[in-house]
Amino acid sequence: MDIQALLLITADAKETQELVTLVPWTFIIQIINLFIQVFLIKKFLFKPINDILEKRRNLADKSIREAREAQDKADSLKEQYESSLTNAHAEAAQIVSEAQKEAQVKADSIVHEAEEQAAGIKARAAADIEQEKKKAINEAKDEIGGLAMDIAGKVVEKEINEADHRKLIEDFINKVGA
Amino acid sequence: MSSGFEVDYAVVYKTFHTGIPILGDFKLTETLVVSWIVMAIITGLCIFLTRDLKVENISKRQAFAEMLVETGNNFVRNNTGGNKFDKLIPFVSALFATSVISNLISLIGLRSPTADLSTEAAWAVVVFIMITATKIKTNGVGGYLKGFTTPIAVMTPFNILSELATPVSMACRHFGNILSGVVIDGLIYWALGLASAALFGLIPGAVGNFLSKIPILGVGIPAVTGVYFDWFSGCMQAFIFCMLTVMYIANAAEEG
Repeated sequence: MDIQALLLITADAKETQELVTLVPWTFIIQIINLFIQVFLIKKFLFKPINDILEKRRNLADKSIREAREAQDKADSLKEQYESSLTNAHAEAAQIVSEAQKEAQVKADSIVHEAEEQAAGIKARAAADIEQEKKKAINEAKDEIGGLAMDIAGKVVEKEINEADHRKLIEDFINKVGA
Repeated sequence: MSSGFEVDYAVVYKTFHTGIPILGDFKLTETLVVSWIVMAIITGLCIFLTRDLKVENISKRQAFAEMLVETGNNFVRNNTGGNKFDKLIPFVSALFATSVISNLISLIGLRSPTADLSTEAAWAVVVFIMITATKIKTNGVGGYLKGFTTPIAVMTPFNILSELATPVSMACRHFGNILSGVVIDGLIYWALGLASAALFGLIPGAVGNFLSKIPILGVGIPAVTGVYFDWFSGCMQAFIFCMLTVMYIANAAEEG
């Protein structure tokens, strides 16, 4: 086995091609094969995978966007609630103060009325007392008049006509009473 | 065991007489058949990997497919600096996949299509046309032609030579590495066959006669050398070829 054996094409029944050679048909077909392979790899690997990656990216973007929107909404709601809460506080304070004022007014009027009533009662009582006093005085006058006539009758020893002298007696009493 | 050393030549299965003058007869060679097997493997793998894709809760298979695509995208984008050459991604990926599978298919006993210069020449010519097209697109036809006269007009022949050297060197580099693997594998098997024949031939009688016909030493040892000559060299050459493709095209677009 020498170097020539290396270079000799073996005497096999199989037909073989040279070790280093350019075969036009193989060359052309390999170019076509390469482009077919590019097409196939694009169609079966890159397109579906890129599609799915794109979809996932969109989904992530969408989630972020939605989260941001939700936060904005929550913020605006919070603001709204806070402002309405402040309003409610103010309203409550107003209602309380109004109620207080009203109550004050009512109380005042009640007290006033009571005072008026009390004054009326007092005045009527005073008038009653005065009348009773007058009545008592008059009764006392009558009694005294009677007594005086009795005394005078006894003193004069004569029947004094009561009816005739009443006026006289009364004048006298009045003068005494005054 | 034959005592003569043989390299694994590409078998011609059938010859079709076409009668076309320059192209000659069409020969259905081992190169073409194995190329089609390689294409079927790659396409089948792609279809398998991209079955029932999901947006969430992805399977390991889908994660691997996505990793492949991302790697391809990043490879082209990092080496060209931007998204300008995104159209190249499937081309470079196809080139790399075909090259790697073609190189490694020798491990299962088939003859690598890349051990045929026609294959690499086909790829290199496609890449060369792409480089030239990019150059013309960037600088215009006039600018492209004028580029040969730089820095001085005397350099024109050398510039043309260096331009043509690009595809030739790309094709020959890849082909040479794979062919050397084939030759060395052949040599190792042959040498180990001889060695085991000599070793077991020492056993006298029919037993030695029988054992010396089996290349026992050929089991195991070629696997070790195959790590470099088949695995490493195969992946490396595919990577280098794709790297050069991307670099040359990116450079072609940058020349002002």
